[in-house]
Amino acid sequence: MSASTATQGLMTPKKAAIWVVAIILSLFAIASFGNAGIVFALLIGLMLTGMPISISLGLTVLTFLFFMSQVPVETVAMKLFTGIEKFEIMAIPFFILAGNFLTHGGVAKRMINFATAMVGHWHGGLGLAGVMACALFAAVSGSSPATVVAIGSILLPAMVKAGFPKNFGAGVISTSGSLGILIPPSIVMVIYAVATNSSVGALFMAGIIPGLMLATLLGSVAWYRARKFNYPRMPKATMKERLKAFKESIWGLLLIVIVLGGIYSGMFTPTEAAAMSAVYAFFVAVFVYKDMTFKGIPKVLLDSANMSAMLLYIITNAVLFSYLMTSEQIPQIMADWMIAHNFGVIAFLAVTNVLLLLAGNVMEPSSIILILAPILFPVAMKLGIDPIHFGILITVNMEVGMCHPPVGLNLYVASGITKMGITELTVAVLPWLIAMVGFMLLVTYVPEISLWLPRLMGYL
Amino acid sequence: APIIIKFSHVVANDTPKGQAANYFKKLAEERTKGRVKVEVYPNSQLFKDKEEMEALQMGSVQMLAPSLAKFAPLGLKEFEVFDLPFIFDDYSELHKVTQGPVGAKLLKKLETKGLIGLAYWDNGFKVMSANKPLKNVTDMRGLKMRIQSSKVLDSQMRSVGAIPQVLAFSEVYQALQTGVVDGTENPPSNLYTQKMHEVQKYVTMSNHGYLGYAVLVNKKFWMGLPADIRAALESSMKDATVFANSVAKKDNDEAMAGVKKSGKSQIITLTPAERAAWKKAMDKTHKENMGRIGADIVKEVYAATGYKP
Amino acid sequence: MMKYLDRLEEIIITFLIGAATLVIFAAVVHRYLSGLPIPGLQDWLLGINMAWAQELCIYMFVWMAKFGAAYGVRTGIHVGVDVLINKLPPKWRKTSVLLGLLSGVLFTAIIGTLGARFVWENGMHYAVYNKFGLLIPEDLYEGPITPDLEWPTWAVYLAIPLGSFLMCFRFLQVAWTFGRTGELPHHDHSHVDGLDDEVMDATEALEEYEAHKFDQQTDNGGVK
Ligand code: NA
Ligand code: NA
Repeated sequence: MSASTATQGLMTPKKAAIWVVAIILSLFAIASFGNAGIVFALLIGLMLTGMPISISLGLTVLTFLFFMSQVPVETVAMKLFTGIEKFEIMAIPFFILAGNFLTHGGVAKRMINFATAMVGHWHGGLGLAGVMACALFAAVSGSSPATVVAIGSILLPAMVKAGFPKNFGAGVISTSGSLGILIPPSIVMVIYAVATNSSVGALFMAGIIPGLMLATLLGSVAWYRARKFNYPRMPKATMKERLKAFKESIWGLLLIVIVLGGIYSGMFTPTEAAAMSAVYAFFVAVFVYKDMTFKGIPKVLLDSANMSAMLLYIITNAVLFSYLMTSEQIPQIMADWMIAHNFGVIAFLAVTNVLLLLAGNVMEPSSIILILAPILFPVAMKLGIDPIHFGILITVNMEVGMCHPPVGLNLYVASGITKMGITELTVAVLPWLIAMVGFMLLVTYVPEISLWLPRLMGYL
Repeated sequence: APIIIKFSHVVANDTPKGQAANYFKKLAEERTKGRVKVEVYPNSQLFKDKEEMEALQMGSVQMLAPSLAKFAPLGLKEFEVFDLPFIFDDYSELHKVTQGPVGAKLLKKLETKGLIGLAYWDNGFKVMSANKPLKNVTDMRGLKMRIQSSKVLDSQMRSVGAIPQVLAFSEVYQALQTGVVDGTENPPSNLYTQKMHEVQKYVTMSNHGYLGYAVLVNKKFWMGLPADIRAALESSMKDATVFANSVAKKDNDEAMAGVKKSGKSQIITLTPAERAAWKKAMDKTHKENMGRIGADIVKEVYAATGYKP
Repeated sequence: MMKYLDRLEEIIITFLIGAATLVIFAAVVHRYLSGLPIPGLQDWLLGINMAWAQELCIYMFVWMAKFGAAYGVRTGIHVGVDVLINKLPPKWRKTSVLLGLLSGVLFTAIIGTLGARFVWENGMHYAVYNKFGLLIPEDLYEGPITPDLEWPTWAVYLAIPLGSFLMCFRFLQVAWTFGRTGELPHHDHSHVDGLDDEVMDATEALEEYEAHKFDQQTDNGGVK
């Protein structure tokens, strides 16, 4: 039920049968490792049938509780409500709503204009402007695919027209769009905070420096390639033009002040900031830029509710799953095992990255975090890893996962905009993807990149 | 197979409640010679604040130690008497209630909800903190004060013109640091372990309210236990309670010493006259909530402690 | 008939997300204004209790989530891991998809039933018996209430059975259509209404872009 509908390369029935049998056998092998094994074999098996992740999580829990434990199953029904009965989680629908008002409300195109006026005359021209516009939009939106849509659907056609090869534009925007979850606000960070009881405010603060670094890095790759292949540049904008572009985009840029300024000046809690940003984005879209009419409002509300409900449904079922694991003391057993086998911080973080990257092949970030964080987090804590640093490295890892196949939401989105195939896109994003993997390792093993700013501001 | 008691709570292992839960586990397993296994789940791992009561009623967990403020939503508003400001002047007054007939009578009411109350565990008396000195009651006016969700605490803050704000415990440090709220009330041990004194300039030793827990078990489960095991568990609980209260007291004293030593916030002590003025101002809360809580029970507590505004 | 149900579902979730936003907006504004020492206004605002706002917002969103999840089945937004099944021969794939949809039916039906039982035992039983003056059994307790709004929790928890059964129905509907026509609802993440015209008319947009670049003077902002 996801966006990928690659119909080429179907297996023959014989080959398919071999695959299916092999998978079933390996699941049985996993299941032989006690209760933890059974839980994971069940989960993986259900997920591979293609059913919604939320349903696979829920069914795993039900099956296990029903057949293998004495916990009353009514608990499950209660958890489905109480699992999201937490004010911090409510930042998610609010940020989604704000993002939709921004996307529909003409904020993105004014940001693109501003970015183009600032850096369009350098090597890379519109591509560089794209990175900057993504970074700016990321600072008001909490989602990566939304950033790709908002910036890409306007800028990509413009780039092709301006004489850039399609794959250059697609590569730049798909990867830069992933800044959406690293530069605050970030829905993925809210989900991590919820899954691990960390502070949303501290995570947001910790994302700023890595976000700016990654934006610079992606921009540099674009600049280098543009110079090498001699891609077109824009005429240099005059001071007056820049000022004008800035003035036009100021309403969107002000949202950065409202969200981050609001949180760090103590005006709002993160959830309240999200609600305020939704109201503000609505105001800008309808009354200031007037790119949205009153008639369009219910549709935006409905679409936001649809997306939020999907995420909240995964969250509730993931809460169930983590309840099952706690109740079976699985994370504790794994933590003890790792410590007994002298897993150091370096090895553990390497394993974490590999595991997350593997999961990134088949799932989108919220599900990955919700399923893996409750397992990995206790171990990380025992090893003395900072929870905020751990959150940032997971976020960066998720960014990588969104930009590579088979499952990579940013790629799907870019493919929808450019009508390029996923394989073609994969080649297109490669230069930036390699840079991102390098950056991920840097963030993983240099905690100070994430922790310096929050520490400076007294958050840790 | 041993009888398993899942004991779930929402705080860390090293807090007084966490330590007491682990101490109970040790005693119970020793005294039943392993016929009972107590699994302690700290940090809301198993159930959160909002769901643990229902979980206990359903039997998904066998033992809890929720804060007394959590009993009103269960339909037992009588327990809000513990939230009333200045109702106990010190531990000796408090223990007259929690270890006397009034406390027992209150616990008895839990049976109408399918629960049994085994004991009261202290956390301690609360201090007020803010970024401005809170010396007189009038200093509270217009301040945004974090409270835990409770009608009485809400009304207590309003009685002195403050704006109560319910916030999750995990968000309090940040909210204080950034100024989402101006101040809060806490027993010293919470204040200190959450490092709130680092982001609050003044701490007033108001000791204005009490924070405590009651240890609960599921009635059906408890009554179904063999009598000898129940007796062993009761004796373990008795000793764990003594331990819990002494740890709480010690932790609070050490926490205040820690706050003082850190020099990060200034400690304000109230003269008896000043404290009396606070008490008088907050007496409004008693009047407002008398009907809610039940005049009988409030009067019984007054009689036990000799409360006079 | 079906059209009304669809419409109702949409109206409920649209209303809930919009209203929750306004509630929090009002609560924040209230908190800020009551902190300002404006004579008269401050007293008036301090007299208004907005402590229920957070709780109401949470409940609105949980209800939105439950009904929205049902709506999501209809719009195909619930993501799954389809890497494997997309490689399978068409017939196999069809079986697998159908199996997935029926698992959805099964799960939501079980949750709906468990939820209904939980709601009943958590106070609805008592409330109903009390309401109709029936004899209340010995071991039946009055259910809990929510801390701030003091609503009976069973009423709030009704979202679970109602939402789950609706979702179950939606899964059945989708499975039925898929079984007959082989079509699934499909959510396109790159599709944004309102940006449609910009994407569709890329050429036109570009021409405008070229024409205006930096010096365009419309009051409509930059690139169209
Ligand atoms: Na962002
Ligand atoms: Na991926």
